Amino acid sequence: MSLRSRIATLWKALTRPEEFHREMTEELSFHIEQRAEDLMRGGVLREDALRRARIELGGIPAQTETMRAAWGTRMWDDLYADIRYALRSFARTPGLTAIAVISLALGIGANTVIFGVTKHILLDRLTAYKPEELRLFAWISPKKSAVHSSWGMSTRTPDGKRLSTSFTYPVYQQLRRQNRVFDDVFAFKEFPRLTATIDAQSEAVSAQMVSGNFYRTLGVQPVLGRPILDSDDGASGSGPVAVISDEFWTRRFGRSPGVVGKTIQLNLTPITIIGVNPRGFTGASSTQEAPDVIIPFSMASIATPVWSKKPLLTDPDLWWVPVMGRVKPGVSDEQARAALDVVLNAAVRSTATIGKDETVPSLILQDGSRGENYASVLFSKPAYVLMALAGFVLLLACANLANLLLARASSRQREMSVRLAMGAGRSRILRQMLTESLLLSCAGGLAGLGLGYCGRNMIPHLLSSSWHAFTSDIEFDWKIFGFTAAISILTGLLFGLAPAWHASRTQVSSGLKDNAQSVTQRSRNVTGKTLVVVQVALSMLLLVGAGLFVRTLMNLNGSHLGFRPDGILLFNLQPPRTRYSEPKDLAFYHRVEERLRSVPGVSAVTLSDMTLIANSNSDTDFTPDGLPKKPNEEDQSANVMSVGQDFFSTMGIRILAGRAFNATDTETSPLVAIVNQTLVKEFFPSNINPVGRTFTQDKQHITIVGIAGDAKYSNLHADPPATFYLPYRQQLSGKQSMTYEISTRMKPAAIVPALRSAVASVDKDVPLLDVRTQQEQIDDTTKQQRIFASLTSGFGVLALILACIGIYGIMAYSISRRTNEIGIRMALGAQPGRVQRMVLREAWWMALIGVAAGLGAALAMGRLIASMLYGLKPWDPVTLGVAALLLVAVALAASWVPALRAASVEPMEALRHE
Amino acid sequence: MAQPKQEKQNDVLQGTLDLLILKAVSLGPLHGYGVLLRIQQISGEELVIQQGSLYPALYRLEHQGAIASEWGESENNRKAKYYKLTAAGRQRLQTETEKWNRMSNLIGTILRVTSEEI
Repeated sequence: MSLRSRIATLWKALTRPEEFHREMTEELSFHIEQRAEDLMRGGVLREDALRRARIELGGIPAQTETMRAAWGTRMWDDLYADIRYALRSFARTPGLTAIAVISLALGIGANTVIFGVTKHILLDRLTAYKPEELRLFAWISPKKSAVHSSWGMSTRTPDGKRLSTSFTYPVYQQLRRQNRVFDDVFAFKEFPRLTATIDAQSEAVSAQMVSGNFYRTLGVQPVLGRPILDSDDGASGSGPVAVISDEFWTRRFGRSPGVVGKTIQLNLTPITIIGVNPRGFTGASSTQEAPDVIIPFSMASIATPVWSKKPLLTDPDLWWVPVMGRVKPGVSDEQARAALDVVLNAAVRSTATIGKDETVPSLILQDGSRGENYASVLFSKPAYVLMALAGFVLLLACANLANLLLARASSRQREMSVRLAMGAGRSRILRQMLTESLLLSCAGGLAGLGLGYCGRNMIPHLLSSSWHAFTSDIEFDWKIFGFTAAISILTGLLFGLAPAWHASRTQVSSGLKDNAQSVTQRSRNVTGKTLVVVQVALSMLLLVGAGLFVRTLMNLNGSHLGFRPDGILLFNLQPPRTRYSEPKDLAFYHRVEERLRSVPGVSAVTLSDMTLIANSNSDTDFTPDGLPKKPNEEDQSANVMSVGQDFFSTMGIRILAGRAFNATDTETSPLVAIVNQTLVKEFFPSNINPVGRTFTQDKQHITIVGIAGDAKYSNLHADPPATFYLPYRQQLSGKQSMTYEISTRMKPAAIVPALRSAVASVDKDVPLLDVRTQQEQIDDTTKQQRIFASLTSGFGVLALILACIGIYGIMAYSISRRTNEIGIRMALGAQPGRVQRMVLREAWWMALIGVAAGLGAALAMGRLIASMLYGLKPWDPVTLGVAALLLVAVALAASWVPALRAASVEPMEALRHE
Repeated sequence: MAQPKQEKQNDVLQGTLDLLILKAVSLGPLHGYGVLLRIQQISGEELVIQQGSLYPALYRLEHQGAIASEWGESENNRKAKYYKLTAAGRQRLQTETEKWNRMSNLIGTILRVTSEEI
């Protein structure tokens, strides 16, 4: 009936038991006295009357008990009793309890940490009003489309079409103007790096450029100052304002409220700070990192890249702006898409010229609640693999606990029989056993949550480069709590069900009679042994995983680079284009190069437009003059790198024929290039000497003057690609930024100040960016492999320990149960060695079956992770063999002590034993 | 044995105790002992309620929200817990009464049937 009265009464009974009890007693005493008075009126003596009244009512304690129960306290009282009983029995077996809680804490903690990262990458939404209403615009087109140059992420769909989220600015303007289906349409663009000068100090900041309606449409208000408004996003240069991130505010301005109104320089253009974003607001691009500054599109000129030949905002051919909109209620996605597709088509036709047989891209709408969401594209597979492996660890811990509890349950059979004999229901016993296991799993879950909280930033920390901190923390929110609570309860049920079932099926009579006297236990304990086999199999799986990832990392680190990274220090320079328009920047780079060469301790200096092993590359068509074109257009491309004259000697790349670059290769001298061996192999017939021949690029003929040895370019995974090198001084179109490679014997920390002042002596407004050694740069590209190697090794060790405990536990337990049997065997003449072998043989078989099952699972897993491996096959025999041997050895070692104990059984004592 | 003595009805049908309590307190607030007296009084002392089952029934009804309790003073100035009907209890009393009447009519009809009527 009324839920309120039910809860109110139960609440009172549970929270104020003394008051409740006093009231009940008072009520009953009143009853007894009234009744007694009535009896006395009938002539009964007071003493007799009271006695009769009490008997009629049936005793106050019994009455209050049933009255309490009428208020629904039965379940709670039982639960309370169960918990108290469970705590008492855990206190009696502290070792078992500690093992259980610790192994669960490790398993749940690992899962919490990895779920935190996965959630951050795959689930977290933008900090905006109703992010689920946001739609990210994208287009899809066949290979031959009206899009010729783009700047942004684009992917290939499985059927070979191109999918991109970048639009030209004029197209965006038309989409916005002619939109009838969205509340509003806004644009934004991420700039990884602008140079900020604050109080005469320069540093790099990340920026996001946004349209004037950005804050309004996202529904976000700065915590300080005002947002960017439409009035800031008018004519070019009309809005020199910026809203800064909470993190930047803290880092650079010490959270001073006076920051609003302060003027700083971005790429040497004065900009006024007008507001501070709320903490956790990351703009619209990603959910991971907040841009340091947000500026309006009207200031696009300060951030225009070197290669862009027209102003960004009017260029009809460059596709670069991501666009988002907020859906109007009641408009379906398909209606919106169809309407906007028409607008896009008209916009492209009216702004750009379309060649014949070129297709106008067609518009599609994507979920915009997580921004452009690059991280999930890059990290979803590793995240899922780690989730799966962590899940296996937890499963292993469950199997281990189930085993321990099962052994415990068998030794408690007598207790269960007594309970049953005294009238406890089977469901009551089941409930009590489950309470115990849930209590254990909740304790493990709490400890695991603590571990997870401590380790929450471990993976982001491992993922960040040593010279560029990963700024966003993993926030612990209700999703993580919910996840941890759910897996705690699930594990509790998982490892608790078998022992609980076992206990509740105890037969009263046999349980009371049965004890360790039973002669053979062969048929018993099948569940326990199965669990051990499962444990061994899971351990095998985790060990193989660890082996594969560790060997991948070793292979990567041991791979032949083709250049020498030792003693090379790297940093980047990005002179602001507002001061160094091309080709003035080349002169700047050259002046710095000359200046650095004279710094004491520097043995060689060179620079390049691309950094070696930084997961970035630049490729272009390579067309040798006088040779037939290749049939396949894609084979025609080669990697290119613009370098300083001492590049090859500084990086230790050998020149095999011809010459290296030298001081005579200048802006005005004939154009030259050096090609690598692979390029020679791919582009020139073997009877032609490439040195002295020419190729055409941008309608200019470039002479090949030398052949260099192969060196890895963008990453360690790929073999050295066909590459040609050009002197940077001949790249008159300019360079956005350059990486300087400094060869030195000094420690980086010791020489960086001198390098910094050398650069400052050329221009104090150009800061050194990303100072790191070449080795750190290389390690940075293998950080994912390193995370996998360290995490999976950790999982592997954990698995071994758990398997060890499991095998030891089950063997020790079965020996103690079989003391009698062993005593009889020995009395009949069995030698101790024979008994020992018998025990070891049992362990051997369990390990062998487990290893075989694990091997099958590992081979299946290998197919899934094959693409993440390097230099070995997923069925790598060394890894599989070592893992198998290790497990068998551990199994035998773990059963050695129980086996010895079995062999040293004294027959007489054993027969008397219980 | 001569005329069999009319026995007092002392075991109340299962479930009817709740109905009797509701009826008793519907006539005015009562303490536990008062409920007992009133039921016996209305029944003309024909019905004897097992005192042991009275209080659990009262608490059950309060838990279900059919009656509410309040501490007050008894006729002889003693502190006593008084029960009164709630709106939900009134509703329940009505439906249960209808149900009871329907059922007793039905049973009565069945029991009155003679062989000629079939």
